[in-house]
Amino acid sequence: MPGGDLLLAFADAVIGADLAALDIARAALAEGLSLAAVSSAAAVAANFTKNDRIANGLGIPTDPVALEGTKELREQLGINDFRSAINTFRHSTAG
Amino acid sequence: MTLYAESAYPVRPDLAAAHASQLDQLGAPGTWGSGAQRLAIAAEARTAGYEAGVLEAPADGGVAVEFALPEVARRVVRRNAVSPKDVDQAFYNDALSDGLSDAEYVEIVGIVSRVTNFDVFARGIGVALRPLPAPQPGEPSRERPAAAVMEKAWVPTIPNGPDGGELGAELYGGQPKPYILRALSLVPDELRAHIELEQIQYTRLDRIFDFEYQHHEGLTRPQVEIIAGRVSALNECFY
Repeated sequence: MPGGDLLLAFADAVIGADLAALDIARAALAEGLSLAAVSSAAAVAANFTKNDRIANGLGIPTDPVALEGTKELREQLGINDFRSAINTFRHSTAG
Repeated sequence: MTLYAESAYPVRPDLAAAHASQLDQLGAPGTWGSGAQRLAIAAEARTAGYEAGVLEAPADGGVAVEFALPEVARRVVRRNAVSPKDVDQAFYNDALSDGLSDAEYVEIVGIVSRVTNFDVFARGIGVALRPLPAPQPGEPSRERPAAAVMEKAWVPTIPNGPDGGELGAELYGGQPKPYILRALSLVPDELRAHIELEQIQYTRLDRIFDFEYQHHEGLTRPQVEIIAGRVSALNECFY
Protein backbone atom coordinates (compact mmCIF):
# COMPACT_ATOMS: atom_id res chain seq x y z
CA MET A 1 0.00 0.00 0.00
CA PRO A 2 1.73 3.24 -1.10
CA GLY A 3 2.09 5.55 1.86
CA GLY A 4 0.35 3.11 4.20
CA ASP A 5 2.62 3.85 7.14
CA LEU A 6 2.30 7.58 6.55
CA LEU A 7 -1.49 7.34 6.50
CA LEU A 8 -1.58 5.31 9.69
CA ALA A 9 0.70 7.76 11.48
CA PHE A 10 -1.46 10.66 10.33
CA ALA A 11 -4.68 8.91 11.45
CA ASP A 12 -3.18 8.21 14.86
CA ALA A 13 -1.96 11.77 15.29
CA VAL A 14 -4.97 13.68 14.01
CA ILE A 15 -7.20 12.31 16.75
CA GLY A 16 -4.44 12.08 19.34
CA ALA A 17 -3.15 14.48 21.96
CA ASP A 18 0.40 15.01 20.64
CA LEU A 19 0.34 18.10 18.45
CA ALA A 20 4.03 17.82 17.60
CA ALA A 21 3.45 14.28 16.35
CA LEU A 22 0.61 15.57 14.18
CA ASP A 23 2.82 18.27 12.68
CA ILE A 24 5.45 15.64 11.84
CA ALA A 25 2.90 13.19 10.42
CA ARG A 26 1.28 15.91 8.30
CA ALA A 27 4.59 17.03 6.85
CA ALA A 28 5.66 13.45 6.14
CA LEU A 29 2.37 12.71 4.38
CA ALA A 30 2.70 15.82 2.23
CA GLU A 31 6.25 14.90 1.27
CA GLY A 32 5.59 11.20 0.80
CA LEU A 33 2.30 11.44 -1.10
CA SER A 34 1.15 14.98 -1.92
CA LEU A 35 -0.28 18.20 -0.52
CA ALA A 36 -3.73 17.09 -1.66
CA ALA A 37 -3.33 13.80 0.17
CA VAL A 38 -3.14 15.73 3.46
CA SER A 39 -6.48 17.46 3.05
CA SER A 40 -8.05 14.29 1.68
CA ALA A 41 -6.75 12.25 4.60
CA ALA A 42 -7.99 14.90 7.03
CA ALA A 43 -11.44 14.79 5.41
CA VAL A 44 -11.65 11.02 5.73
CA ALA A 45 -10.37 10.94 9.31
CA ALA A 46 -12.82 13.67 10.28
CA ASN A 47 -15.69 11.88 8.59
CA PHE A 48 -15.04 8.70 10.53
CA THR A 49 -14.70 10.50 13.83
CA LYS A 50 -18.25 11.62 13.05
CA ASN A 51 -19.48 8.19 12.06
CA ASP A 52 -17.94 6.49 15.11
CA ARG A 53 -19.77 8.90 17.41
CA ILE A 54 -23.06 8.31 15.61
CA ALA A 55 -22.67 4.53 15.65
CA ASN A 56 -21.49 4.20 19.24
CA GLY A 57 -23.71 6.99 20.51
CA LEU A 58 -26.94 5.60 19.08
CA GLY A 59 -26.25 1.90 19.52
CA ILE A 60 -26.68 0.75 15.96
CA PRO A 61 -25.86 -2.85 14.99
CA THR A 62 -23.56 -3.75 12.14
CA ASP A 63 -25.60 -4.79 9.13
CA PRO A 64 -25.45 -8.56 8.50
CA VAL A 65 -23.74 -8.20 5.12
CA ALA A 66 -20.76 -6.55 6.81
CA LEU A 67 -20.42 -9.38 9.31
CA GLU A 68 -20.22 -12.12 6.70
CA GLY A 69 -16.74 -13.53 6.30
CA THR A 70 -15.12 -11.26 8.87
CA LYS A 71 -15.27 -13.46 11.98
CA GLU A 72 -11.59 -14.47 11.99
CA LEU A 73 -10.39 -10.98 11.16
CA ARG A 74 -12.48 -9.45 13.93
CA GLU A 75 -11.11 -11.96 16.41
CA GLN A 76 -7.50 -11.35 15.31
CA LEU A 77 -7.83 -7.58 15.62
CA GLY A 78 -9.70 -7.68 18.92
CA ILE A 79 -12.66 -5.86 17.44
CA ASN A 80 -15.12 -8.25 19.08
CA ASP A 81 -13.87 -6.97 22.44
CA PHE A 82 -14.94 -3.37 21.81
CA ARG A 83 -17.70 -2.24 24.15
CA SER A 84 -19.74 -1.25 21.11
CA ALA A 85 -19.70 -4.85 19.81
CA ILE A 86 -22.64 -5.67 22.05
CA ASN A 87 -24.83 -3.41 19.92
CA THR A 88 -24.44 -5.98 17.16
CA PHE A 89 -24.14 -9.21 19.10
CA ARG A 90 -27.32 -8.63 21.05
CA HIS A 91 -29.10 -9.07 17.71
CA SER A 92 -26.83 -11.66 16.11
CA THR A 93 -24.99 -14.91 16.65
CA ALA A 94 -22.34 -14.01 14.08
CA GLY A 95 -19.64 -13.32 16.67
CA MET B 1 -13.11 33.88 0.61
CA THR B 2 -13.65 30.22 1.46
CA LEU B 3 -13.75 28.80 4.96
CA TYR B 4 -10.25 27.31 4.78
CA ALA B 5 -8.64 29.95 2.57
CA GLU B 6 -5.44 30.09 4.64
CA SER B 7 -4.82 26.33 4.38
CA ALA B 8 -1.45 25.30 2.96
CA TYR B 9 -3.22 22.24 1.55
CA PRO B 10 -5.85 22.33 -1.21
CA VAL B 11 -9.37 21.97 0.16
CA ARG B 12 -12.25 20.79 -2.02
CA PRO B 13 -14.62 23.69 -2.69
CA ASP B 14 -17.65 21.52 -1.92
CA LEU B 15 -16.17 20.55 1.44
CA ALA B 16 -15.41 24.16 2.37
CA ALA B 17 -18.90 25.25 1.33
CA ALA B 18 -20.63 22.47 3.26
CA HIS B 19 -18.63 23.14 6.41
CA ALA B 20 -19.32 26.87 6.20
CA SER B 21 -23.03 26.33 5.72
CA GLN B 22 -23.35 23.71 8.43
CA LEU B 23 -21.33 25.71 10.95
CA ASP B 24 -23.58 28.68 10.32
CA GLN B 25 -26.68 26.52 10.73
CA LEU B 26 -25.53 25.42 14.18
CA GLY B 27 -26.60 28.86 15.34
CA ALA B 28 -30.10 28.48 13.93
CA PRO B 29 -32.99 26.77 15.71
CA GLY B 30 -32.93 23.04 15.09
CA THR B 31 -35.52 20.35 15.63
CA TRP B 32 -35.38 20.23 19.43
CA GLY B 33 -32.77 22.81 20.37
CA SER B 34 -32.74 26.59 19.97
CA GLY B 35 -29.79 28.27 18.28
CA ALA B 36 -28.31 29.14 21.68
CA GLN B 37 -28.74 25.58 22.93
CA ARG B 38 -27.16 24.07 19.83
CA LEU B 39 -24.18 26.43 20.08
CA ALA B 40 -23.82 25.56 23.76
CA ILE B 41 -23.61 21.90 22.74
CA ALA B 42 -20.94 22.70 20.17
CA ALA B 43 -18.97 24.83 22.64
CA GLU B 44 -19.17 22.16 25.33
CA ALA B 45 -17.88 19.54 22.90
CA ARG B 46 -14.93 21.78 22.09
CA THR B 47 -14.21 22.48 25.74
CA ALA B 48 -14.12 18.74 26.41
CA GLY B 49 -11.67 18.37 23.54
CA TYR B 50 -9.41 21.13 24.87
CA GLU B 51 -9.38 19.54 28.30
CA ALA B 52 -8.58 16.12 26.84
CA GLY B 53 -5.73 17.59 24.81
CA VAL B 54 -7.14 16.48 21.46
CA LEU B 55 -8.10 20.00 20.31
CA GLU B 56 -6.32 23.33 20.60
CA ALA B 57 -8.38 26.36 21.60
CA PRO B 58 -8.32 28.97 18.82
CA ALA B 59 -7.57 32.63 19.41
CA ASP B 60 -11.00 33.39 17.94
CA GLY B 61 -13.57 30.82 19.01
CA GLY B 62 -16.45 32.97 17.87
CA VAL B 63 -19.34 34.43 19.82
CA ALA B 64 -19.31 33.57 23.53
CA VAL B 65 -22.03 31.07 24.34
CA GLU B 66 -24.14 32.16 27.28
CA PHE B 67 -26.64 29.30 27.52
CA ALA B 68 -26.04 26.90 30.42
CA LEU B 69 -26.71 23.30 29.43
CA PRO B 70 -28.44 21.01 31.92
CA GLU B 71 -26.07 18.57 33.61
CA VAL B 72 -27.45 15.58 31.71
CA ALA B 73 -26.86 17.30 28.37
CA ARG B 74 -23.30 18.25 29.37
CA ARG B 75 -22.64 14.64 30.32
CA VAL B 76 -23.90 13.34 26.96
CA VAL B 77 -21.95 15.94 25.02
CA ARG B 78 -18.69 15.32 26.84
CA ARG B 79 -18.78 11.53 26.70
CA ASN B 80 -19.65 11.53 23.03
CA ALA B 81 -17.07 14.19 22.21
CA VAL B 82 -13.97 12.69 23.81
CA SER B 83 -14.75 9.11 24.78
CA PRO B 84 -17.18 7.60 22.28
CA LYS B 85 -15.85 4.12 23.00
CA ASP B 86 -17.34 4.38 26.50
CA VAL B 87 -20.93 5.08 25.47
CA ASP B 88 -23.20 2.12 26.14
CA GLN B 89 -26.91 1.47 26.47
CA ALA B 90 -26.88 2.07 30.21
CA PHE B 91 -25.42 5.52 29.56
CA TYR B 92 -28.20 6.21 27.06
CA ASN B 93 -30.88 4.94 29.43
CA ASP B 94 -29.51 7.11 32.22
CA ALA B 95 -29.67 10.15 29.96
CA LEU B 96 -33.36 9.50 29.34
CA SER B 97 -34.03 8.86 33.01
CA ASP B 98 -32.36 12.16 33.82
CA GLY B 99 -34.65 14.13 31.54
CA LEU B 100 -33.55 14.05 27.91
CA SER B 101 -36.01 12.78 25.31
CA ASP B 102 -34.81 10.23 22.77
CA ALA B 103 -35.04 12.86 20.02
CA GLU B 104 -33.11 15.45 22.03
CA TYR B 105 -30.43 12.85 22.63
CA VAL B 106 -30.24 12.13 18.89
CA GLU B 107 -29.91 15.81 18.03
CA ILE B 108 -27.11 16.20 20.59
CA VAL B 109 -25.22 13.21 19.16
CA GLY B 110 -25.65 14.59 15.66
CA ILE B 111 -24.33 18.03 16.61
CA VAL B 112 -21.36 16.69 18.59
CA SER B 113 -20.47 14.32 15.77
CA ARG B 114 -20.50 17.09 13.19
CA VAL B 115 -18.59 19.58 15.31
CA THR B 116 -15.96 16.94 15.95
CA ASN B 117 -15.84 16.36 12.21
CA PHE B 118 -15.24 20.06 11.48
CA ASP B 119 -12.63 20.34 14.21
CA VAL B 120 -10.66 17.22 13.33
CA PHE B 121 -10.57 18.37 9.73
CA ALA B 122 -9.23 21.80 10.71
CA ARG B 123 -6.64 20.19 12.97
CA GLY B 124 -5.70 17.80 10.20
CA ILE B 125 -4.87 20.55 7.74
CA GLY B 126 -3.16 22.64 10.41
CA VAL B 127 -5.56 25.57 10.73
CA ALA B 128 -7.31 26.94 13.80
CA LEU B 129 -10.80 25.72 14.65
CA ARG B 130 -13.35 27.82 12.82
CA PRO B 131 -15.30 30.36 14.94
CA LEU B 132 -18.79 29.44 16.08
CA PRO B 133 -21.52 31.77 14.78
CA ALA B 134 -23.87 33.98 16.73
CA PRO B 135 -27.17 32.40 17.79
CA GLN B 136 -30.21 33.15 15.65
CA PRO B 137 -33.64 33.78 17.14
CA GLY B 138 -36.55 31.41 16.74
CA GLU B 139 -38.03 28.25 18.10
CA PRO B 140 -37.10 24.66 17.26
CA SER B 141 -39.55 22.86 14.98
CA ARG B 142 -40.19 19.97 17.43
CA GLU B 143 -41.27 17.79 14.50
CA ARG B 144 -41.02 14.09 15.29
CA PRO B 145 -41.29 11.77 12.28
CA ALA B 146 -44.37 9.60 12.62
CA ALA B 147 -42.65 6.79 10.73
CA ALA B 148 -39.84 6.39 13.28
CA VAL B 149 -40.13 3.13 15.22
CA MET B 150 -37.93 0.97 17.38
CA GLU B 151 -35.79 -1.30 15.23
CA LYS B 152 -32.35 -2.46 16.38
CA ALA B 153 -30.74 0.79 17.50
CA TRP B 154 -31.27 2.24 21.00
CA VAL B 155 -33.27 5.04 19.46
CA PRO B 156 -36.23 4.95 17.07
CA THR B 157 -35.33 5.03 13.38
CA ILE B 158 -37.23 5.39 10.13
CA PRO B 159 -37.33 1.95 8.48
CA ASN B 160 -36.20 1.13 4.99
CA GLY B 161 -38.89 0.39 2.41
CA PRO B 162 -42.60 1.17 2.48
CA ASP B 163 -42.74 1.33 6.28
CA GLY B 164 -40.57 4.46 6.11
CA GLY B 165 -43.27 6.36 4.24
CA GLU B 166 -42.65 9.42 2.11
CA LEU B 167 -40.03 10.82 4.48
CA GLY B 168 -38.08 7.57 4.42
CA ALA B 169 -38.20 7.53 0.63
CA GLU B 170 -36.88 11.10 0.53
CA LEU B 171 -34.14 10.52 3.09
CA TYR B 172 -32.96 7.20 1.67
CA GLY B 173 -33.37 8.00 -2.01
CA GLY B 174 -35.59 5.02 -2.60
CA GLN B 175 -32.82 2.54 -1.78
CA PRO B 176 -32.34 0.47 1.39
CA LYS B 177 -29.70 2.07 3.56
CA PRO B 178 -27.43 0.61 6.26
CA TYR B 179 -27.86 1.73 9.83
CA ILE B 180 -25.08 4.31 9.68
CA LEU B 181 -27.18 6.16 7.09
CA ARG B 182 -30.41 5.79 9.10
CA ALA B 183 -29.29 6.14 12.73
CA LEU B 184 -30.10 9.86 12.98
CA SER B 185 -33.44 9.61 11.18
CA LEU B 186 -35.44 10.50 14.29
CA VAL B 187 -34.09 14.01 13.60
CA PRO B 188 -34.20 14.18 9.80
CA ASP B 189 -32.24 17.44 9.50
CA GLU B 190 -29.33 15.88 11.39
CA LEU B 191 -29.43 12.90 9.04
CA ARG B 192 -29.45 15.16 5.99
CA ALA B 193 -26.42 17.06 7.29
CA HIS B 194 -24.58 13.83 8.07
CA ILE B 195 -25.25 12.43 4.60
CA GLU B 196 -24.09 15.65 2.97
CA LEU B 197 -20.75 15.33 4.74
CA GLU B 198 -20.55 11.61 4.01
CA GLN B 199 -20.90 12.19 0.27
CA ILE B 200 -18.14 14.80 0.27
CA GLN B 201 -15.69 13.47 2.83
CA TYR B 202 -15.98 9.71 2.26
CA THR B 203 -17.42 8.89 -1.13
CA ARG B 204 -20.48 9.33 -3.30
CA LEU B 205 -23.07 6.93 -1.96
CA ASP B 206 -23.96 5.76 -5.46
CA ARG B 207 -20.33 4.67 -5.92
CA ILE B 208 -19.75 3.14 -2.51
CA PHE B 209 -19.26 -0.36 -3.89
CA ASP B 210 -17.11 0.85 -6.80
CA PHE B 211 -13.63 0.34 -5.42
CA GLU B 212 -11.99 1.66 -8.58
CA TYR B 213 -13.71 5.03 -8.20
CA GLN B 214 -11.35 7.65 -6.79
CA HIS B 215 -13.27 10.30 -4.89
CA HIS B 216 -10.35 12.05 -3.20
CA GLU B 217 -7.48 13.86 -4.89
CA GLY B 218 -4.27 12.13 -3.90
CA LEU B 219 -5.82 9.04 -2.28
CA THR B 220 -7.06 5.79 -3.77
CA ARG B 221 -10.01 3.99 -2.20
CA PRO B 222 -7.75 1.46 -0.41
CA GLN B 223 -5.78 4.34 1.06
CA VAL B 224 -9.04 5.93 2.20
CA GLU B 225 -10.03 2.69 3.90
CA ILE B 226 -6.71 2.55 5.76
CA ILE B 227 -7.49 5.86 7.41
CA ALA B 228 -11.14 5.02 8.04
CA GLY B 229 -10.31 1.68 9.61
CA ARG B 230 -7.58 3.09 11.83
CA VAL B 231 -9.70 5.95 13.14
CA SER B 232 -12.62 3.64 13.87
CA ALA B 233 -10.34 1.16 15.63
CA LEU B 234 -8.94 3.93 17.83
CA ASN B 235 -12.48 4.99 18.66
CA GLU B 236 -13.36 1.34 19.32
CA CYS B 237 -16.27 1.47 16.93
CA PHE B 238 -17.40 -2.05 16.08
CA TYR B 239 -19.70 -0.81 13.34
